[in-house]
Amino acid sequence: MKLYVTAAIVSLLGLADAVYLTVEHVTGQSVRCTIVAGCSEVLSSSYAIAGGIPLAAIGAGAYFSVFSLATLAAFGYRIAGTLLTALVLLMFLVSLWLTYLQAFVIHAFCQFCLLSAAITTALTVIVLIGVIFGRKNR
Amino acid sequence: MKRILPFLIILAVLGVALGSAWYLSRPEPASRQTATANSTPSSSSSSVPSQPVALRGVPGAEPAHTLGPANAPVHIEEFGDFQCPPCGLFHPILEQMHHEFGDKLRITFREFPLYPNHPHSVVAASSAEAAGLQGKFWEMHDLLYEHQNDWKDQFDVRPIYEGYAKQIGLDVERWKRDMGSEQVAQRITLDGSRGHSLGVKGTPTVFLNGREVPFESLPAEKLRVVIQSELTAAGQR
Repeated sequence: MKLYVTAAIVSLLGLADAVYLTVEHVTGQSVRCTIVAGCSEVLSSSYAIAGGIPLAAIGAGAYFSVFSLATLAAFGYRIAGTLLTALVLLMFLVSLWLTYLQAFVIHAFCQFCLLSAAITTALTVIVLIGVIFGRKNR
Repeated sequence: MKRILPFLIILAVLGVALGSAWYLSRPEPASRQTATANSTPSSSSSSVPSQPVALRGVPGAEPAHTLGPANAPVHIEEFGDFQCPPCGLFHPILEQMHHEFGDKLRITFREFPLYPNHPHSVVAASSAEAAGLQGKFWEMHDLLYEHQNDWKDQFDVRPIYEGYAKQIGLDVERWKRDMGSEQVAQRITLDGSRGHSLGVKGTPTVFLNGREVPFESLPAEKLRVVIQSELTAAGQR
């Protein structure tokens, strides 16, 4: 229960980050080069769009789904807990791929994308703890 | 109540997320004095077009790198970084505007290298400025942008730039000396100081008759509208 609440709260951070990135992508603000950032290279690369949809928007949808599933699981919907674990693990794999792209293909890091990867990693740790302790308690 | 509570929470979060997205993406307030595709330029800025730009901020390097006549009704001043990908994308757009509007448009380029974010940006700016000392700034400017993808991820860009210098017929030995000269460094610093005094934080930043053009208005179809509305206000449709 507590883990699901924690996952829901953490996913809200990811949702805020992804919404911000989506808006920046759509309005083109982050696509401008700045003194501090590396988001311009990342968001203007061909990897920032999948099937015509900004990756950040897909990320926002994923974080919203995580929040919804975690909330439902916290209220006792067991199937939501299973779906949550599957979704978070999938997001973790996608995050690994995107971080690899930033490091070795685009050669630039976007701090907001890295924040998203960190949040997804935190969610992965939370759901894995849930899986491990869930088994022990059975 | 407990059965619908999680759904109410989810709906509330969805509402907040969509509301935040709408709030963040709304247009900037008019008080920021930006030139947009829908704005009506003030008559004071269009009657003597080059003055507002010159009057605001500290002066940049002189003589500035310009295209088009000094009395053109529309003056675009771009702060650019040769290693910045969006600047590379903006280059053909500005070139297109130059061809479309001809003598009605004056273009000024200002150096704004974003070092260390872009490690080759200062060398690229120096390369263009050194070419400028031989009267071939725009030729080097064009080559740097057109071939940005060939050099931006290279470790050593100097041999590539030297190839460009040869290609445009520069005295290469002089160009090499000039690249490290105080004069070239000074020009880049002065342009950068002008950018900072105008509040430039990133590239490309474009001022049109003294007002900043929002980044989302830089695609060709929108920039064309902004220029045309400025020309209309100046009575030079």
